[in-house]
Amino acid sequence: MNSIHSKRSLRPRKRGRPFLYFIIPAALTVGVILVFPIIYGFGLSFFNWPQVDDGTRAFIGFKNYLDLFQDSLFWRSLMLQLGFIFIAIPIQLVIGFFVAILFNNDFPASGLLRTLLLLPVFVLPVLSGLTWKLMLQPRYGVITYLLSQIGLEFPQGILSDKSLAYAAVIIQDIWRMWPFMFMILYAGISGISKDLIEAAEIDGASFYQKTFKIILPLLRGTIATAILLRTIDALRIFSEVFVMTKGGPGSDGTMLFSLYIHKQAFQFGKLGYASSMAVVLIVITLLFAFGLVRKNMDIDTA
Amino acid sequence: MTRKNKKRLRAWLLFTLAIIIVMMELFPIYIVVSNGFKRDLDIRTSNPFSFKFSMRSYQQVFEKSDFIPSISNSLIVGLSSTAISLIFGSMAAYGIARFKFKGRKGLSYSFLVSRMVPQIALSVPIFILFDRLGLTDTHISLILAYTSFNLPYIIWLLLPFFASVSPSFEEAALVDGCNKKQVFWRIFLPLTAPGLVVAAIFAFIMAWNEYIYALVLTGNTTKTAPIAVNGFMGQYAPKWGQLAASGTIILIPVIIFTLALQRYIIKGLTAGGVKE
Repeated sequence: MNSIHSKRSLRPRKRGRPFLYFIIPAALTVGVILVFPIIYGFGLSFFNWPQVDDGTRAFIGFKNYLDLFQDSLFWRSLMLQLGFIFIAIPIQLVIGFFVAILFNNDFPASGLLRTLLLLPVFVLPVLSGLTWKLMLQPRYGVITYLLSQIGLEFPQGILSDKSLAYAAVIIQDIWRMWPFMFMILYAGISGISKDLIEAAEIDGASFYQKTFKIILPLLRGTIATAILLRTIDALRIFSEVFVMTKGGPGSDGTMLFSLYIHKQAFQFGKLGYASSMAVVLIVITLLFAFGLVRKNMDIDTA
Repeated sequence: MTRKNKKRLRAWLLFTLAIIIVMMELFPIYIVVSNGFKRDLDIRTSNPFSFKFSMRSYQQVFEKSDFIPSISNSLIVGLSSTAISLIFGSMAAYGIARFKFKGRKGLSYSFLVSRMVPQIALSVPIFILFDRLGLTDTHISLILAYTSFNLPYIIWLLLPFFASVSPSFEEAALVDGCNKKQVFWRIFLPLTAPGLVVAAIFAFIMAWNEYIYALVLTGNTTKTAPIAVNGFMGQYAPKWGQLAASGTIILIPVIIFTLALQRYIIKGLTAGGVKE
């Protein structure tokens, strides 16, 4: 007891709480423009709330959520979203991993090339979507053209076929984001001690053994983090797909989750219903976010 | 072959492989840039590899479209939200990094997690709230919306910078009679200047690239550059040349910053998400 008290009294006694001066502006701002809208949106999900007030705005309890379960397009958009994540991210992981292995060697200009690889990650999502749309145009799109040279013709256009459009949207994301995986894995690999790998080489380890028996197990934590970060990011994908396909072809070809929210809210004007979907999306995202926080976060070593 | 030659050969083979990967990866960017120097008509009527150099698309973008005002909107909104986020964010990062207080962890984790909430989920309540306040189609609405993701981001990006400053600077200043506020403004800000620059650039790029809030909150007077670029898709026939030309222009700052920030990119991309 005594010692604790004396320790306390050693610290200079500060008047008031000086940290408040530093924290309050940010906390207030985030509270007003981020936390409050989230709560407001949660409340909204219990209302019938047409965008133009026609007198039918009313509290309807859980009806939006019950309707959600009956809405086949909701389930389809959820499936498309999950499919997107389960296809795109593993492919990004594999490409990113092998390219990271490649760049773990010494060769000329590797630093510059590594940075160049990252450019697509920063390209405006809108521009990325539009560029792929251009490349996939019938006749004059460069990808369509190249495919036709090897005998694959798509006279209707690739983006007007449901499965092809879905594939295109996924490939667009793979193109944009595998370098993100690459960068994180590269950082992880270059953190592995060179001695360890050299020792294995001296012992006559093959490329396969080095890669899968030594590097891969040591990267487990990094890979898990990369997947979590990517998943949280992929759950919010919107702009690229919106400008590429608007969720089409048809009514649901590439209607990923956030596109369906946007459609319900701003095309059909059902803001309450869209909010219930937004709540579902937030809950899913937070599950992954908490996973990430629990796994990695420590403010004192951040 | 000697051992040295063998090693050299291997390096050049790896280099060639890396070059091929980079070229394939950058091909879509090449497509944007090269199409900006073609005319709309030529793009749609000829084979994608034919190239007739023309500045016509750039001319049209500058003379006849709403692209220039949209650039200025993007700059106003991006710079303002970056400035607010940087001031409040650096203060908060300092507060979290250098003070022990109750609820410190909870507070900083809520900053982190709130940033991960998808923008589309926030767009509905934000749209209604700003609509009621009469703020749609104003710069203020976008500045606030962009600050909502930039501020928490900057706090987490800056935490390690503030945490790494040696306590001796602080102690010396306190002994010299500075109070905590002066310590922050006079000692810590100059010491963490590189971090502040990196944070500002990343925040600006995120605002520059943003599309969802711009789509929902802006009208004709405040539309940002990404909205204007998408506008070249037109109602009937896409103006690909002008789209590519304007796309190239808004890509320039992004490319410059990516190359300039090489060293900090991992930190910037994963702020708060990766233990170091």
